[in-house]
This record gives sequence, structure tokens and C-alpha cells, in this order.
Amino acid sequence: MTLARAAAKPWSALGAFFAMSLDTFVAMVKPPFAWREYVLQSWFVARVSVVPALMLTMPYSVLLVFTFNILLTEFGAADFSGTGAAVGTVNQIGPIVTVLVVSGAGATAMCADLGARTIRDEIDALRVMGINPIQALVVPRVLAATTVALALSATVILVGLTGAFFFTVYVQHVSPGAFVAGLTLLTGPGDVIVSLVKATLFGMAAGLIACYKGISVGGGPAGVGNAVNETVVFTFMVLFAINVIVTAVGIQFTVQ
Amino acid sequence: MTLAVPSKQFQRVRRTAARTLTAWRRIGTQAEFYGKTLMSIPDALVNYRTEVWRLIAQMGLGAGALAVVGGTVAIVGFLTVTTGALVAVQGYNQLASVGFEALTGFASAFFNVRLIVPGTTSVALSATVGAGATAQIGAMRINEEIDALEVIGIRSITYLTSTRVIAGTIVVIPLYCVAVMMAFLAARLGTTVIYGQGSGVYDHYFNTFLNPTDLIWSFFQVVAITVVIMLVHTYYGFTASGGPAGVGEAVGRAVRTSMVIAAVEIVFISLAVYGQSGNFDLAG
Repeated sequence: MTLARAAAKPWSALGAFFAMSLDTFVAMVKPPFAWREYVLQSWFVARVSVVPALMLTMPYSVLLVFTFNILLTEFGAADFSGTGAAVGTVNQIGPIVTVLVVSGAGATAMCADLGARTIRDEIDALRVMGINPIQALVVPRVLAATTVALALSATVILVGLTGAFFFTVYVQHVSPGAFVAGLTLLTGPGDVIVSLVKATLFGMAAGLIACYKGISVGGGPAGVGNAVNETVVFTFMVLFAINVIVTAVGIQFTVQ
Repeated sequence: MTLAVPSKQFQRVRRTAARTLTAWRRIGTQAEFYGKTLMSIPDALVNYRTEVWRLIAQMGLGAGALAVVGGTVAIVGFLTVTTGALVAVQGYNQLASVGFEALTGFASAFFNVRLIVPGTTSVALSATVGAGATAQIGAMRINEEIDALEVIGIRSITYLTSTRVIAGTIVVIPLYCVAVMMAFLAARLGTTVIYGQGSGVYDHYFNTFLNPTDLIWSFFQVVAITVVIMLVHTYYGFTASGGPAGVGEAVGRAVRTSMVIAAVEIVFISLAVYGQSGNFDLAG
């Protein structure tokens, strides 16, 4: 009996997650919408994410163009370094850095905040007052994570390309005109749209997982710490999986 | 009786100076903590060997809900499968668009080793082993268990952080092997089974361009990153404050910081190793 219950536990957690997600999507289109909480949360997620995102983009895009240029120099095709930088940054580094930051910075903070409220019974207090916590807390947070992820991925791509430009031109001595001309050789509007779609999906998934983990915390301070840890792990796993699938689907439309 | 005190001069300047000083002091305390942790490693190896063994077992398998999904090994394996598959998805199609799809095996041997595996492993370690350490130590700090350790005469830094740095460095060795194998496997299966390239073509270019020295450097890169990740995560756990929410915030801050530091470290090691010659020869 206990064995069966232990085996059923992860599945019931998965079911509860989907139930909460469904509630969230229904509550999204049902008035009243918590505008004030939405604006505050968006500002909060943006504030904790922007600096780490920029700090993380720079090294990764520099590493990408550095590794790629070793290859291109060997072929004698260093003029195409802009092409490599654009393919790597727009298609992969942009969305992946957004994932890492939205789940590492935004989702952890959200989960810690909701988790602390849950173990102080504040969520139950809301229910007693007749306020639906999904509508008042979860919906604005999920939408805030989605909005900020979308905005962040655009910023990350721009900063990544700028960093790649300076590194390639000033450190690896490629002519700037050739770099800029190569940017759009393989990367078109289709790639940018797929990249933005990815970022939107990432933001929504990260927000849902963080809120679910936050409102289902149990077991005191150690529980909140573990919930945040699990949030990071699960969001990374889900988001990396989404990344591969959306890339595989999107590439059918963007590559001729 | 209250005294009328005139407000101090140059308040703004004073405030800025105080803030800069606090930031400097924080860097100093952090460096001191890292120094102490690293210096206590021999002590931990001599006196707290059982704790090191216990932590190795725990980090490899994960605790709580993470053990349910297969522990750290499975999580690292899963993440590198998804990023290795990107070589097949993105690399094969992108190369096919310029008529070079035969070189996907080469892309797997080159980018997986130098770029994808160190990057993904560092992220996965900071999320699993690192964040777990912050959560554990942070909860101990909030419950005043660390003070209790000091009272009963156990050196808390040695017992809690040096042991974790050692355990993390040992655990990462099999983890790195799993990560590399999974990345290669995902790239190969994706290219040959899903996109239908001949496996002979793939294997030929893969074996021709797989450079063993690159693999060894990539391994040392990951070990060096692990030490830094463990140091950062244990520091944030050790200095957690502010109740249950404080532990959660500390975990978030630690993940942010260690990801940025790991990325910078990967770049610097790569520049140091491949910066001069590139260590790459197309002619084989």
C-alpha cells in the first residue's frame, strides 16, 4: 500500500501541476485581471534578470565566435564569421541564455516569494477571504515571466551580436564590413520569429513551474530551499526539451 | 531629554562612500571564506572522511524529489542529450543549406567538446548539486544548526563547505563522462537515425576530427568550474539570512552568480588553451 502510494506520488504531482496550469489559463481570460500585481511582477522579474542576462550573454557569445573563428580561419573563410555569430546567437545563445536567466533569476525569486507565503499560511488566508490565489497571484506572475522573457531574448540577441562584433573585429581582426555583411546570409526574419516564440514559451513554462512549486511547498525553511532547488532543475529540464523540439520544428520553415 | 543634532555635511558623498566600502568588504569576506575553505581541504580529508563519503553518495543520487527523476546523473544526462541533439538539429540543417551536411560528424566532435559539454555541465551542476548545497546549508544556518556545530567543537567551514568542494570534484568525474557520451550519442542518433545520414559518413568525419587533447582540456575545464561553483554555492548558503524566504532567495542568488562566473571561467580557460594556436588542424 505504501509502495503504491510512493509510486503514485510523482504522477499526482504532475497531475496537480497540469490542473494548476489549466486553472491559470482559465483565470487569465476571466475578469478581474490583477493589473497592479502584473506590472509590479514584470518590473521585479526584469530587475533581477537584466544584469545576469547581459553578464551571461557576453561570455557565451564571445566563446561561440572564438570557437567558430578558429574553424573559419583554418578554412580561410574568416570573412564569414558574421554568419556563424548570427546563426549561433539568434538561434541558440539568445533563447538559451534567456532560459537560464528567467529560470535561474526570475523563477527562483518567484518560487521563494510564493513558498514563504505558503508556509506562513498566507495563501490559505487569501482563500478564506474569498480571493482566488490563482487569479490574484499566479496569473500575473506567469504573464510577467512571459512578457519579460520575450523582451529579454531580444535584448540578449542584440547584446550578444554586439559583443561578438567587438571581439571578432578588435581581437581577431576580421574586417567589420565583412562581419556585418555576413550576419544576414543564413539568418532571416523566420529565425528571429522562431527565436522569439521559443522565448515566449520558455517564460510561460518557467512561470508555471515556479508558481506550482511555490504554492505546493511544505516543511519549513528547508522545504522552501528544496522547492527553489527543484524549480531550477525542473525548469531547466523542461526548457531544454522545449528548445530542441521547437528548433526541430522551426528549422523546417526557416532553412531552405 | 532630546538633543538637537545638526545634520552631517556631505551626506550624499558619505552614503556613496559607505556603499562602496560595504561592497569592497563583501568581496573581501567572500575571498576570505573561499581561502579558508580551500585551506581546510586537507583537514577535511583527514578528519571528516565519513562526511565526504556521505556527501558523494547524496550528490550523485540527489535528495528528495530529485531522486525520483533519477538523481543528478540522470538530470545531467538529460540536459546534455538535449543540447547534443541541437548539433544534429541545427548543425545538420544549417550545413545542409550550404551543401556541407557530411561534416555534421565533425561539428559534433568539435562543438560538443569545446562548447556544448562544458557549458551545459556547468549549468546542470549549478542547478542540481550547487543549488542543493545552498538549500541544505542555508536551512542549517536559519535553524542555527551551524552555530550549534561550532558550540560542540566542530569546525563548521571544514565540516560543511570543504567536504562539499571535495565531494563535488569527485562526483563531477563520472558526471562529465556521462555528459560527453550523451552529447555524442544524441548528435549521432539525431543525424543518422532521424535525418538519415549514412552512419559511415558520420563516423568517418567524427573519428577524424575528434581530438583527444581537446577532450582532456574540456575535462579539466569542467573540474575547475565545479570547484568554483561549489565555493560560490556554499558561500551563499553559509551566509543565508531572513527566514524561509531568505533561503530561497539565497538559492536564486547563488544560481545566478555561479552561472555567470562559470561562463566567464569557461571563456578564460578556452582563450588560455586555444588562444595561441587554436589546436586545430584541418588536414588531420
